[in-house]
Amino acid sequence: MASNTKDSSRRDFLKRAGGATVATASITTLAGCGGGNDGTGTETDDGDTGDGDTETEGDTGDGEGEETTRLRYGRGAHSSTLDPQNTTSGEVAKVTNQAYDGLISFQVGEASLTEGLATDWSMDGESVTLTLREGVTFHDGSDFTADDFIATYRRFVDEDYEYYFEDASVYGPFTLGNWIDSVEAAGDYELSITLTQTYAPFLRNLAMFAAVVISQEAIEGDTNLGEEMVGTGPFQLETLDDANNRIRLTAFDDYWGDGPNVDEVLFLTRGQNSTRAQALVEQELDIIDGLDPDSMQIIEGSDSAENRTATGINIGYMAFNLSRVEAFRDRRVRRAISYAIDTQAIVENIYSGIATQADQPIPPALFGHNDDISPYEHDPEQAQSLLDEAGYGDGFSFTLTTFQNPRGYNPAPLPTAQTIRTNLAEVGIEMSIDDRQFSDYLTYTSQGRHDATLAGWYTDNADPDNFCYVLLHPQVEVPDGQDWVAWDTEGYNTSNNAAWANTEYMDLVEQAQRTTNQDDRAQLYREAAQLAHDEAPWVFIDYADEVRGVANTVSNYTVAAIGGPFLEVVEVE
Amino acid sequence: MVSNRFVLKRLLLLFPVLFGVATVVFAILHLSPGDPAVVIAGDRAGQEFVEQIRSDLGLDDPLWQQYVRFLGDVATFDFGQSYQVNRGTPVSQILVDRLPITIELALLGQFAGLLFGLPLGILSAVKQDTWTDHLTRVGALSGISVPIYWSGPLLILLFAQFLGILPTSGRIGSEYFIEPATGLILVDTLLAGNVPAFQSAVVHLLLPVVVLGIYQMALLSRMMRSSMVEVIRQDYIRTARAKGQGSKITVMKHGLRNAFIPVITVIGIQFGSLLGGAVLTETVFEINGIGTLLVDAISRSDYPVVQGTVLVFAVLYTLVNLAVDITYSVLDPRIEQ
Repeated sequence: MASNTKDSSRRDFLKRAGGATVATASITTLAGCGGGNDGTGTETDDGDTGDGDTETEGDTGDGEGEETTRLRYGRGAHSSTLDPQNTTSGEVAKVTNQAYDGLISFQVGEASLTEGLATDWSMDGESVTLTLREGVTFHDGSDFTADDFIATYRRFVDEDYEYYFEDASVYGPFTLGNWIDSVEAAGDYELSITLTQTYAPFLRNLAMFAAVVISQEAIEGDTNLGEEMVGTGPFQLETLDDANNRIRLTAFDDYWGDGPNVDEVLFLTRGQNSTRAQALVEQELDIIDGLDPDSMQIIEGSDSAENRTATGINIGYMAFNLSRVEAFRDRRVRRAISYAIDTQAIVENIYSGIATQADQPIPPALFGHNDDISPYEHDPEQAQSLLDEAGYGDGFSFTLTTFQNPRGYNPAPLPTAQTIRTNLAEVGIEMSIDDRQFSDYLTYTSQGRHDATLAGWYTDNADPDNFCYVLLHPQVEVPDGQDWVAWDTEGYNTSNNAAWANTEYMDLVEQAQRTTNQDDRAQLYREAAQLAHDEAPWVFIDYADEVRGVANTVSNYTVAAIGGPFLEVVEVE
Repeated sequence: MVSNRFVLKRLLLLFPVLFGVATVVFAILHLSPGDPAVVIAGDRAGQEFVEQIRSDLGLDDPLWQQYVRFLGDVATFDFGQSYQVNRGTPVSQILVDRLPITIELALLGQFAGLLFGLPLGILSAVKQDTWTDHLTRVGALSGISVPIYWSGPLLILLFAQFLGILPTSGRIGSEYFIEPATGLILVDTLLAGNVPAFQSAVVHLLLPVVVLGIYQMALLSRMMRSSMVEVIRQDYIRTARAKGQGSKITVMKHGLRNAFIPVITVIGIQFGSLLGGAVLTETVFEINGIGTLLVDAISRSDYPVVQGTVLVFAVLYTLVNLAVDITYSVLDPRIEQ
C-alpha cells in the first residue's frame, strides 16, 4: 500500500511538470484552495482557476483549456481495503461500487433489481440461468466473460482454487458459498448456477456489493486487489492516498452503461459529522453522508446545500435474551415491556424525526412489510396488567447492554437506554445499563452474555429474508414445546440475539425461502411479521432514514438505501 | 565532549526500556475488553467464522505463547501485520507512511514554539517586572492553560467558519495529489515543483501548527524567562558588566548559553509531549498521522498497529532525550556524562 499514489499516470507527471511553471500562481489560487472555496466543485486541474498559461501546461492530458468536472464525496471513514471480498463494511462498498459491477444491480434509489453484467436471468427451483452482457471491458482492457464470474466466485469461496482468497469476508459463505452447489459456463456469455436448495433471495445476493465481478486476469495475475480495483464499473482507480485518507477515481471511457457524467470522483474523509457538514457548507465537498440531527442543522441553515432523505432499509430494536432471562420467556412480559417503552418519544425526541417508529422486523421499503400492523402504543397500564397476569406484578430486574457510539439505526444509544430505563421504572422493572465500546459489545453479545441488548441491522440485499431469517431464525433444532433455544446449542445463529425460536414463524420463513413467486412470498412474510409483532421477541424501535447533504451544484443524485451511491449519473455544475 | 561509551550505554538502555513498554502494551491490550477476531469478522459473522479467524491469527493460543511470540517478533523489528488496514499490510510499512506526517507536524510546532517562545522569554527576563514582562507572562500562562481540543475547534470556528480564510481540516487541498517522496508534505510539494500545492499545504498546516505551537511557545517563554533571570543574577555576569561590557553582549553571549541548559531539557521532554499533542491535533484537524492511526487502531482492537505505534513512540522519546543529554555537554563541557 504505502505511498499509494503509485497509480499515478502520465497525466500526473504532466501535471507535476506543469506545476513547475506555476510559481507565479496568483493569490486567488491560494485563497481558492486554502479556503476550499472554489464555489462550484468544477475546477481546472491543479486548481489553477483562471490561469490560462497553467491550464495549457498542466492539462495536456485533457486537451487545452478543458475543465475537469470533479465530484467530491465526503464520508466519515476511509476505506480499509479496496477488495470487495475482504470486507463487510459499507464504507468500502461506496468506493468499490464505482469500479465494479455485479451480474444484477439494484435500481437507483429502489429495492428492486435491474440488469447489470447480466441482461437476462431465470430461476427455476435450484437452477439459475443468466445471460451475460457482451462487449464489456474491464479496466485492465480484458473482455468480460462468464469465466470472470467463475474466477470471482472461486476466489471468494473455493478453497481448492489456486487463487482462493484466504482473507475472504464472511460474505463469501453468507451470499454465495452456502447456497451455490456448482457454477458452469455455457459458452462465454451464459452462466448456469445450481443451488444447494431452492433459495428465493439468491438473485438479490448477486446484486450485493460483495458479489461484484473481478477480472480473471487480475485474480490470477499478481494484482493486489486490496489496493487496486479491476472491474467494469464507470470509474477506475487513479490514486489511493492513504496518507491523506482519500481516493481519486477517474471516468472509465469504455464503460458499458450510461455515464459517467463527471471526469473525477474524490472520496474524502472528514471523521467528525459537524466538520463534514461544515465542509459541505463551505463548498469543500459536494455530497456527504453519515449525518446526525446536529450536523443536519448546519446544512439547513445554509444556502449552498440541502439535506435529502430517503426511507432506509434498516431496523433498530431491543432484543430480549430468552436463553438467559426466564421472565422473557413469557410473551406477556415481552409484550408488557413493548407497551411500557415509549418508542414514539424516542423516535421523535431523541432521533429528532430522522427515523420512523418500527412495528415489525421488515422495514416499510421492502416487499412483505405488513401495512396492517401498527406500533405498540405507550400504555403503562396495559403493561402493568400484563405483568400482573404473568406473575411479575412486583417487577424484576435485568441489564440492558448497548454500544456507546451512534450508529445509523440508533443515533443516540445512551439516551435511548436511559429513556427505556425510566419507562420501565414506571412499571416496577429495574433496569441497569451496560454500555460498551462497539467491538467489545459485539464480542459480548455474540457470546450471549446480555440479558437484553440494543441492536440494529442494515440490509445486505434488500430481501425480507435478510431480516426474518438472519435475525430471528435460530438455524438449529428447537426442543419440543419451547419457543427459545439455549445459546450454546451447536450451530446456533448468534445474529438472533433474542434466542427466540418460534417454530410457526420458522416454518413461514423457511417456506418463503423456497417460494419463488414474489406475491406468495410477500404473503408469507406478512404473516411472519404479524407473528413477530405479536410474540414480541424484540421491542421494535425505529427504521432510520438515509440522510445525505447535497450541494446545490449537484444534480441527478438520488439517495439510495441499497446499492450505490450511483455516482455515474450525477452531474456537477 | 560526550564519550562514545556514554552514547553506547544509553543506546543499550533502549532495550530494557522497549522490553518494559512492549510488556505493558501487550498486557493492557490483552486485559482490555474487545476481540480483534470479532471486529475483523464483522457483525454478520457466526461463531464458527470468528473462531477460524481467531485461530488464523493465533489469538486462541495461551497468552504466554502469544507474548513470547510477540517479543520474538519485536526483537527482529517485525511488528506483524495490521488486522484492519488492508488486512495484512505490514505494520512497519504503515508506520513508515504515517510517521513523517506526525514528525512534520511536531517539528513545525516545535519550530513555531522556539521562534516565538525564546525571544519572548529573553525579552521578559531582560525587561523584568515591566509591562512587557507582565503581558508576556499572562500570555504564556494562558497558552499553557488552554488545551488543544479547545483551542483547535475554536480556531477552526473563527478562521474557517466565520472568516472563511482557512480550510477546516486536512493537510492539503483535495485537488492536489502529490507523489510522496519524503512523506513531509511541504518538502514533497516543493520537490514536485508544485507551488500551488505547496501553498495549499502551508495554508492547511497553519492552524494545526499554531495550535501545537501555542503551548510550546508559552512553556518555552516561561522557562527561558526564569532561567535567564537566574543567570543574569550570577556573579560572572555582574563582573562582566562591571568590567564595562555592554549589556546586550553580556546577555546574549554569556548569559544565553548557560540559560539554555534547563530550556534544552524542557525542549527534549516537550518533543515527546508534542508527539502526544499531535494525537489530539491530528484528531481535531483530521490529519492522518501516527496519532489518528493509534486512536483508530485502539478502537478497532488492531493489536499489531497499537503495539508498533507505541513502541515507535517510545524509541523516539528515548532518542530525543539522548540527543538532549548530548547537547548539554556541548553547551557546557563541564557536564561530564
